[in-house]
Amino acid sequence: MNTLYLDGQSLLHRLPTRAKLGGLALFSLLLFAVSHPVVLGFAALAAAIAYSSTGIGWREGVARLRPAFITIFAVTLFALLFQPPVEALTILFRLTALMLAAAAITATTSIGAFIDTITWAAKPFERIGLVRAADIGLSVGLVIRFVPEVTLRYRSIRDAHQARGLKVRPVTLIVPLLIQTLKNADEIAAAIDARGIR
Amino acid sequence: MSTRDLVLVALFAAIIVALGLIPPVSLGFIPVPVHAQSLGVMLAGVVLGAKRGTLTVALFMLLAAIGLPVLSGGRGGLGVFMAPPSGYLYGYLAAAFVTGYMSERFVNARQTGLVQGTYFFVAALAGGVFLCHLLGVLWLAFVTGLGLPAAFMGTLAFVPGDALKALIAAFAGRAVMVGYPLLPQRA
Repeated sequence: MNTLYLDGQSLLHRLPTRAKLGGLALFSLLLFAVSHPVVLGFAALAAAIAYSSTGIGWREGVARLRPAFITIFAVTLFALLFQPPVEALTILFRLTALMLAAAAITATTSIGAFIDTITWAAKPFERIGLVRAADIGLSVGLVIRFVPEVTLRYRSIRDAHQARGLKVRPVTLIVPLLIQTLKNADEIAAAIDARGIR
Repeated sequence: MSTRDLVLVALFAAIIVALGLIPPVSLGFIPVPVHAQSLGVMLAGVVLGAKRGTLTVALFMLLAAIGLPVLSGGRGGLGVFMAPPSGYLYGYLAAAFVTGYMSERFVNARQTGLVQGTYFFVAALAGGVFLCHLLGVLWLAFVTGLGLPAAFMGTLAFVPGDALKALIAAFAGRAVMVGYPLLPQRA
């Protein structure tokens, strides 16, 4: 699976993950505390500069945000219908700033760095017995490993339908997919235990 | 939590991701394209129950947060938690819990197929359709600042498609109950 991480050496790349996530949380709180369109416009501009400083390039940078911008424009159009134009502008700038800032953090933080930070954040919960911190990284790894497998299984069930001249229906597709996957789980769990991974 | 539960949660999260890779389909009588990802959320609740179902969705959201493009249409990253439709994403978490909890409480192996299917359908409707859309609308209305009437109008178009998915989840839940029951052994 491709990730949205982008290799690079920019300032954002070099900042520690905790600082970036804390900064993003603070930034988003401030964006909702302020409701002046000009201030929010500058915030959006600052976020855009941060996003472009990751070295993402024009084409890739726009392509990543296209679906997000479509929903933002749709919401702004809706707001124009129901609310005064200043409100619509506030919404547009606030959501754009959020989107760009979040995308900048996503582009500059690797999966490994995220998992290290999450494991670190889960440590206090481990101490009171809620979770095992190491399980989080393991489950993320398992999902990344399983997605191609599930997709392959989905395709083979679809092909089996077509080979028999059956119409592909959601129920006859999903039920075998689920049961095959569930049966697989026992084997995988036994394999994990046998290797002492967990 | 046993290793088996951990694997089940990871496998179901993978199923939700894979369902997002299937291109959305347009059904004739519904004005918007339907994608299958929220079906995966209902399935997690119906098949795995409240605890494991909720963990599945939490893991799925974690994958999105750390920058894997796991949401339908290849979206991902921290931005998806702050966008106009993010309320539906938070709704997934509540949906898996409520669908799972109701399935655990109401369905047992001694009931007839029709009764099981009906309870699964009600559970998926309450969690996956009602609660998910409620959170989605509240987020749109108050966090995005769109206002309730506009947000409500915006969500209506998606309700028939999601009700259809609840029906599919109910059929699948009943079939898994017959073929490979997991619900009685609570995590």
